[in-house]
Amino acid sequence: MLNRRHLLATAFAATALPRLAFAAAWSAIEAEAKGQSVYFNAWAGSDTINAYIAWAGDEVKKRYGVTVEHVKITDTAEVVKRVRDEVAAGKADGSVDLVWINGENFRIMKTEKLLFGPWSEAQPNYALVDVEGKATTKQDFSETVDGLESPWGMAQLTFFADGAKVPNPPRSMKALLEFAKANPGRVTYPAPPDFYGTTFLKQAIYEHSADRRFMSKPDDGSSGLLAEDTFTNFLDELHRHCWREGKQFPKSQADVTQMVADGELLVGITFNPNEPANLVAAGRLPATTVAWQHEQGTIGNTHFVAIPANAKAKAGAQVFANFLLSAEAQAKKNDIKIWGDPTVLAVQKLNDAEKAAFAAASAPGGVTLPGPTLLEPHASWVPALEKLWLERYGKG
Amino acid sequence: MLELRNVALKFKDGQDLIKPFSVAMKPGEVVTLMGRSGSGKSSVLSFIGGDLPDAFEASGDISLDGTELSAVLPEHRNIARLFQDDLLFPHMTVGENLLFAVHGSSRAERLDMMRTALQRAELGGFENRGPHTLSGGQRSRVALMRALLAKPKAILLDEPFNKLDSELRQQIRDYTFAHIAARNIPALLVTHDRSDAPKGGRIFSINANGEVTHV
Amino acid sequence: MVRAALALPLLAVFVVPLLLSVALVLPDTFNAQGMNDVWQHPQFAGAFRLTLLTGLASTTLALFSSLLIVARSSRSLSSRAGGFLAVPHLAFAIGLAFLIMPAGILARIIAQFAGWSAPPAWITTQDPYGLALTVALVLKETPFLVWALASVLNRDDLRQAFAGQRAVAASLGHSRRSVFLQVILPQLLPRVIWPLVAVLAYGMTVIDMALVIGPTQPPTLAQLIWVDINNADPEVNARGAAGVVLLSGVILLVVATVAALLRCASTAISGFWSKGPHQSRLRLTSLRHLPQRGRRREAPDEVSSLWNAFRIIYVLVIATLILQSVSGLWVFPNLLAEHFTLSAWKRLLTDASPVFTSLALAILTATTSLAASVLWLESVPQSKDKGLLWLSAFALCLPALVIGLGQYRLFLALAISGTATAMFFAHILPVAAYVFIMLQGPYRGFDDRFRSAASGLRASRAHFLRQVKWPMLKAALFSAFAVGFAVSMAQFVPAQLAAAGRFSTLPMEAVTLTSGGNRALTAAYGFALMALPLIVFLVAVRMGRSRWRTV
Repeated sequence: MLNRRHLLATAFAATALPRLAFAAAWSAIEAEAKGQSVYFNAWAGSDTINAYIAWAGDEVKKRYGVTVEHVKITDTAEVVKRVRDEVAAGKADGSVDLVWINGENFRIMKTEKLLFGPWSEAQPNYALVDVEGKATTKQDFSETVDGLESPWGMAQLTFFADGAKVPNPPRSMKALLEFAKANPGRVTYPAPPDFYGTTFLKQAIYEHSADRRFMSKPDDGSSGLLAEDTFTNFLDELHRHCWREGKQFPKSQADVTQMVADGELLVGITFNPNEPANLVAAGRLPATTVAWQHEQGTIGNTHFVAIPANAKAKAGAQVFANFLLSAEAQAKKNDIKIWGDPTVLAVQKLNDAEKAAFAAASAPGGVTLPGPTLLEPHASWVPALEKLWLERYGKG
Repeated sequence: MLELRNVALKFKDGQDLIKPFSVAMKPGEVVTLMGRSGSGKSSVLSFIGGDLPDAFEASGDISLDGTELSAVLPEHRNIARLFQDDLLFPHMTVGENLLFAVHGSSRAERLDMMRTALQRAELGGFENRGPHTLSGGQRSRVALMRALLAKPKAILLDEPFNKLDSELRQQIRDYTFAHIAARNIPALLVTHDRSDAPKGGRIFSINANGEVTHV
Repeated sequence: MVRAALALPLLAVFVVPLLLSVALVLPDTFNAQGMNDVWQHPQFAGAFRLTLLTGLASTTLALFSSLLIVARSSRSLSSRAGGFLAVPHLAFAIGLAFLIMPAGILARIIAQFAGWSAPPAWITTQDPYGLALTVALVLKETPFLVWALASVLNRDDLRQAFAGQRAVAASLGHSRRSVFLQVILPQLLPRVIWPLVAVLAYGMTVIDMALVIGPTQPPTLAQLIWVDINNADPEVNARGAAGVVLLSGVILLVVATVAALLRCASTAISGFWSKGPHQSRLRLTSLRHLPQRGRRREAPDEVSSLWNAFRIIYVLVIATLILQSVSGLWVFPNLLAEHFTLSAWKRLLTDASPVFTSLALAILTATTSLAASVLWLESVPQSKDKGLLWLSAFALCLPALVIGLGQYRLFLALAISGTATAMFFAHILPVAAYVFIMLQGPYRGFDDRFRSAASGLRASRAHFLRQVKWPMLKAALFSAFAVGFAVSMAQFVPAQLAAAGRFSTLPMEAVTLTSGGNRALTAAYGFALMALPLIVFLVAVRMGRSRWRTV
């Protein structure tokens, strides 16, 4: 016989249990994580980023007994391949515990079931993420995240220049063309399939296509038409006024940045809106540097951390990821002097002390003319667009 | 006494080079073996010395003072060799070259033997010189002294006068034979030049068919 | 049997891993889709042309300039070239690029007089024909060929023979140049075929230099493949893998053709000169057997002015690297940076463990390779060398990616990926190949009559090796060690794959840190990569030097 009290108790348990179980599960993860070594595979081309990762590693060592080893890599694709090969070879205790990832690499790992999870939404600090305001924390290049990766930072296509030489920054592709006409040979972009070059191309298509919304769906074969349109209406002409008349292109964004610093180019390109300010602070760009985004918006995305399916230290990796999502770690990362990577958190949800940590004084090189964020097109457009670009401009 | 019995050489592929021959060299005697280049005369010396190149196969017996040599390592055969080139070790001084050949005894004794040998070669005071600073004749004398310092029981001469000009050649030749005679050890000289042979010595010749005949 | 067992170490560290690795990559060849995709790649034709052009042009020019240099005098060059060899290709390209690029030092100097405020529209780097890349390769490979040529010319036995032939030919009224062309060159060329093959293969597979100074639209084939290989998409990978196989095939074909041509060429040269209408007829065959007339003094040590030009360029490049490593923001057309900083060097020194890892691996692999090669050369008949030489040359011709990929699959299968063992094997493969190629010639060229003479002096084999043979070959032994050391220090692709993130070496650290384009950091790492092999080279030269300064 069930009496009322019993019924009540059962009802209470039914509602409270998930929360309790949730907390208990997380404690279990923390307990399991203690003493683990997390091999965090992350691009290591920036000293400031490396220093930040080292700091975060030291903190989780102190607080949770988790050792973080930064595996310095040049290209996340090498990690995707390594995990794929290890899984294929039946290696259960894989060499990668956590990887810095987004976009195409994420899509591939997700499709090939190389990722552990879902786990990211179960992190205590996930509650702070601005999932409404920052749609890209749930949609990684139009691929749903599904709890398989944990958001880490925000990115948006941003341009920069020495304000002393470029007093009126071109805030659209059209304006950039006019600027290039006035300053022949001083504008260019990295050649696709470099990630930045491809993004520049996508941005150009966005600004020259009547309706870009259908690019959020898989490429139905209209990539040829769209590209052709942008090539004939815009890029053909832009290239005539570009560096080396558009017959050669720099191989990377880092090269473009260096050429801007040297004065060979006038306009640089980046995905981290705070990178120019960070480079000013590091003494690699002049203090007169300005950064801007296009008036009608530029392509933006989120970068994440993910745990491979065959990771050895899955608990440790989650503990580290959760720490990376903490207000403290995100605020420090947001600081231009540290890294300047914009936060994925909803700052308004934080308490006052935490909010204050995010309030940064404007720094030289910071974005003074911001634009709205445009969503990345579906990843399936990329190979087609790159091929079309190479066929038209890649032969010298 | 150095004895060759039914010694024959052929190429690995079976082709005959030298047909079986026998000869015995008495202490102090220099026997000459003559042949064109490529006749295999130098390979006979290699066979006696114990380091016949892989391309050849040899048969027959060699004995030195009654000891059968076929199973004896080259370094234990006690047979010295001189070549067309003096083969002084270029990284050693003249003195060190000589000391290399002196075995046993105390260091003082070895130094003494080396210096005596230098004196005998009329090269007193050349001890610390590099071999490259010596003239051709001086080098030949050092090479001979080095060979004799090892107290060999026989000596093999592989056209050792070939690279010397005619005046020097005569001089070194006489010098060498005199020392061999003084040591009273058997010697086998191979050459293509009949005038290299000691006067009155036995001469054997390898003909086009690889037959060895007493001349 | 015991002697045959001495060949095993080289088989174990080199031959077996190489063959297994290649076998594991071979299936990629049969990927029809990948092969088809390579042909369909929009930049394939251009990239292919560019690869052939830069590879062949740079090798030919490097051969000519190295011959011009050694024809003048070769006596001290084998030791002097070592310093040049120690400069890593990447570091050299970075330094050179900053000298000649539109915003580079040269342009800045001219700007002072011309009044430029922005860099000129020069096409001094990334030119569409790969000329800058060709020049960089010529500058980098010439010292290597000079070194290889000088090593042959300075070999004890050959030097004596050449000196005699020179003297005889000179007494017949031949000029120095004509003696070199008619007498020395035909004997020299067949002896440097392997170094030439290495240069050619390197020129056609180079990635790092091409990335810095080569064209991008289209890039070279190696760069095109590099991009595909680094893609995460398996289909694009397959295209890259097919490209690697294709490139390897092309290289093997070109190398075989060139090697055959060289063999013919050396005969043809001697034939041409000895039949030349205005030349007194020299019969090389008889000349070789002419008696040596005593020991003449060689001509005073004249150093070719071309060699001096190389020295100046290298000094400028290294100085540029050092300057860059401490320079902060450096706006055109200023001759000096706005501010100087030691931050790059601090960064390098804060975590020195990659330096020690690299150092340990380099010493271990160079020593092992040297020991294994010597054991082979002492125990295996010379007739068996040919197979191993081909295999070594094959290993050097294959793009590092092929071997890296194969090794990586091997290590995964053996479950040793990410272990010290894997790192050792990933490093020793090219080291062993280089060491064996470097050592084989001098070692087999050793006059065996020294051994007979020593046996006659009652010296055992061990005594002979320790006291005579190895001391006489010490220059070759130390050089081979130094080259092995340098090769190990430069190992990147296979090491990166084998390390699985568990080990970091100096080049791995350098490549990842410099992917961010920080020029000071790049320069500092480039300099560090150069410094260690340079020191080893200088020590090796000193230790390998003859005790007689005049020799």
